[in-house]
Amino acid sequence: MFDLLPDRLPWFIGGPILGLLIVGLFVLANQPLGASGAYVQTSGLFRRQAGVVKWRVWYFVGLFVGGLLVTRVLREDAGVRSGYDALREVFPLGVTIPLVLGGAILLGYGAALAGGCTSGHGMCGTAQRSPASLAVTATFMATAILTTFILRVATGGAL
Amino acid sequence: MSNTTKLNVIGLIFGAMFGGVLGAMNLHEYDTIHAMLRLDEPDIFLFMASAIVVSAPLLWLLERNGFTTPLGGELRLSRSKPEAHHIKGGALFGIGWAIAGTCPAPALVMFSSGAMLSLIAIPGIFIGLHLRERQQRGVGHSGDGEHRDLVTLSK
Repeated sequence: MFDLLPDRLPWFIGGPILGLLIVGLFVLANQPLGASGAYVQTSGLFRRQAGVVKWRVWYFVGLFVGGLLVTRVLREDAGVRSGYDALREVFPLGVTIPLVLGGAILLGYGAALAGGCTSGHGMCGTAQRSPASLAVTATFMATAILTTFILRVATGGAL
Repeated sequence: MSNTTKLNVIGLIFGAMFGGVLGAMNLHEYDTIHAMLRLDEPDIFLFMASAIVVSAPLLWLLERNGFTTPLGGELRLSRSKPEAHHIKGGALFGIGWAIAGTCPAPALVMFSSGAMLSLIAIPGIFIGLHLRERQQRGVGHSGDGEHRDLVTLSK
């Protein structure tokens, strides 16, 4: 809407801000900023499970709200679109949808099995110097880079 | 204000700030994550590394000095040993991450930015988490990352 932000914040500004957010949540509440846990609690809320950690549901809502403020209010709004530009250039929608769905199911299952995702292990776990988080992070970085390479070869360099 | 309410407000604010940073870094775009994993540009690796460089020493100092948090007791960091499920889960997560070009937090920002294929990705993540949850039965607190036993709040 207002076009106040650059197309992408420089990493040396965004990174330290994220670092301070990680520290901030530990300082206030002794909790990691993990996002998969927020999904688990939100789905628990909808399924009326007992013992739902409510603040993680608010955290889930907050992610949406913060994203909305930055991408549609503070920055020029890209509007309603499909997203996945690079993938859509290579594949028709009939291939893109099952790819995205399959990838998302895999990453959700993997995050639950590992006990966390890019934020919980990759950021907050490594910041705590946890050997388990370092192992998870090294593993997912390696398989993600390898998978991307395989996709690139399989599409003849198009992706 | 009860501690539970305070924690809810903190959750909303920290979620919004985190979502805002992810949006400002364009991490809600498939193209950003794909370019990172293609090793075309180092920016997102540097973004993650600089966040850790800032947070790790501060957390270490706070823990060493026995800092007591207002809502969660004494600050204690988790340092679990790697087990097989970490490696298996991490491996599957990485493959899915590369194919879907998003992960749990950026997927929500993707939705708020108006990218409609997030309506495929977000339910997919829920399904994946749920499939694992069904195997485990009743472990309701997975997914937070490294996490000491859940903090019990005084109401």
